[in-house]
Amino acid sequence: MDAAKPKRILCIEDEHFISELYTRALTRAGYKVDVQLDGQKGMAAAQTDVYDIILLDLMIPNITGIEVLRTLRNPAKTPKMHAKIIITTNLEQREDIRADIEQQADGYLVKAEITPRELVEFLNKLDI
Amino acid sequence: MDFLSKFRRQVKLYLFWVLLAENALLVAAWWAVHTYHHELSPLYTVIGMAVLGLFGTLLVSDAAEKRITQPFITLWQAIHHIAPQGAEEPAPDLNQKQLGHELVANLASHVYQLASTIQAVEKTNSKVAQDLHANFIANSLPLPLIVLDKDEMITYANEATSKYLGKPADDLAGQNVYTALDMSFKSDDTLSTWLKNSAGKTATASHKWEHVRIGLPGQGDSLLFDLAGYYNKDNSLGYETLLILFDHTDVYSQDDQAMSFVAISVHELRTPLTLLRGYIEVFDEELGPTLTPELKEFMTKMDAAAQQLAAFVDNILNVAKIEDNQLTLQLHEENWQNVIENVVGDLNLRAGVRGITIKTDIAPNLPTVGVDRYSIYEVLANLLDNAIKYSKGTDEIYVSALLNKQGLVETSVKDFGLGIDASILPHVFDKFYRNHRNRAQIGGTGLGLYVSRAIVDAHGGEISVNSKVNEGSTFTFTVLPFSQVQGAGKTLGNPDLTRNAHGWIKNHSLYRD
Repeated sequence: MDAAKPKRILCIEDEHFISELYTRALTRAGYKVDVQLDGQKGMAAAQTDVYDIILLDLMIPNITGIEVLRTLRNPAKTPKMHAKIIITTNLEQREDIRADIEQQADGYLVKAEITPRELVEFLNKLDI
Repeated sequence: MDFLSKFRRQVKLYLFWVLLAENALLVAAWWAVHTYHHELSPLYTVIGMAVLGLFGTLLVSDAAEKRITQPFITLWQAIHHIAPQGAEEPAPDLNQKQLGHELVANLASHVYQLASTIQAVEKTNSKVAQDLHANFIANSLPLPLIVLDKDEMITYANEATSKYLGKPADDLAGQNVYTALDMSFKSDDTLSTWLKNSAGKTATASHKWEHVRIGLPGQGDSLLFDLAGYYNKDNSLGYETLLILFDHTDVYSQDDQAMSFVAISVHELRTPLTLLRGYIEVFDEELGPTLTPELKEFMTKMDAAAQQLAAFVDNILNVAKIEDNQLTLQLHEENWQNVIENVVGDLNLRAGVRGITIKTDIAPNLPTVGVDRYSIYEVLANLLDNAIKYSKGTDEIYVSALLNKQGLVETSVKDFGLGIDASILPHVFDKFYRNHRNRAQIGGTGLGLYVSRAIVDAHGGEISVNSKVNEGSTFTFTVLPFSQVQGAGKTLGNPDLTRNAHGWIKNHSLYRD
């Protein structure tokens, strides 16, 4: 990773303790992390600021993660979107819905199945 | 061309010739009488000329009448021909040369034109009346009714449609049905595949779909319908396809709610699990080097327990999916040795804690297999987890894989522990079934084998067990080589290689933007 310019991560996650754990692990790994607690603020941040990675929970207040994902992936609504979007959720989807979400996102992780360190390893492998 | 003045000129000329002929006749008669009978008295001369003149006039007027009235007769015939009650009157021959030929032809063509206009107006009126009736019926129908033309455009939607979908019917009309409505079907038996198979190929067709989610695109609210489609190729009004929607949201959503209860429970269970695993990791990172071996072991056990709980949560979810027919597999080509070693690597921690070693014996040159990585991982993990739990006192578990005589990849998980009594062996794959004798000593939910069998079944394989009390158990299951899976997928025209518990399904997208 380019030490001079840390990669920026936006973590859209309403569970405070989870975002705290993730921020801790990611900051230690050299990422710069911003946290937003709901869909509306998260989407606004993603649209105004430049991020390399967006960690997106699906079950979040105000605007659902699916809606945020759609908006961020719609060039008409969010031009100049370069960030990799990684879904981080504990919500179980119908398989066809999940397949559809996976198609639009750059990764789909079930939070209960990974530790913060495993998340860091996953993000380190991303081509950014 | 002024047909009328030409006609008048023609009539004038004709009368001139007729009167001239009449006069000539009289002069000729007078001359003849005077020449051959000059001894006749003037009285007889006058009488003779009057008689001759009378006959001549009769002949001439008779001939003239026919000529002069012919145009009126022709027009009369033309009018009668098109009159509602005069259908038997033949059409006059308009090419016949007659006085005022052009004028008559012109007038007759006007008459005909007028008649056809009237006919068209009448037809339109009757159609409008029909439409009004149809509209009234359609709008009185409490069920949503949507009409499509041959290009799958909505030509009509009744009032019930707009009531159910929350959009004025006029806004729906003129739109392509697939862009106007967001429809998701339970399988690849969709409206578009049906129309593709029916449209233009059969004269009429009808079809019914159950549990179709229909809403407006981009809006969360949608309802669950049964959908009936009627296709009619030769509909003169261009109404090719009729769709009738039966709202069954109340009935279907109960199933969905049952599923979402499980989904929400799983979500709520997973959140603390995520935290637990996260904090254990933090402790391990921060304190690991300073911990006594005993505390270090506790930490490892704590993490293993959290992982076990996560696996159990996944099993609950799988049971719900299996029972709701929502378990779907994405089959990919996998190296079977890698899959096994991956699972064994993960389970070794738990086995090691109990002093058990997992040994593998995988035949070389196994073909690649067609499996859903995540699901088949659960099968292997469940079997290994059971083997670990039931190994009691023994310290080895064998995992072997080979290509069997049927050409399937066969995998066995063998332990040397408690074993299963013959009387309960047939029930081990039942839901919630547990060996009563061992219930107190060994944890578990009785879900693992039930889930494993459903997953193996869905892969097109088979699972079985061999066991003897106090000698141990061997669980064996098969999966298909990728070449066979691919062949089946191709035969079914399904490039996505997606299966559920009941066979092949085509992957379809729920969301369309």
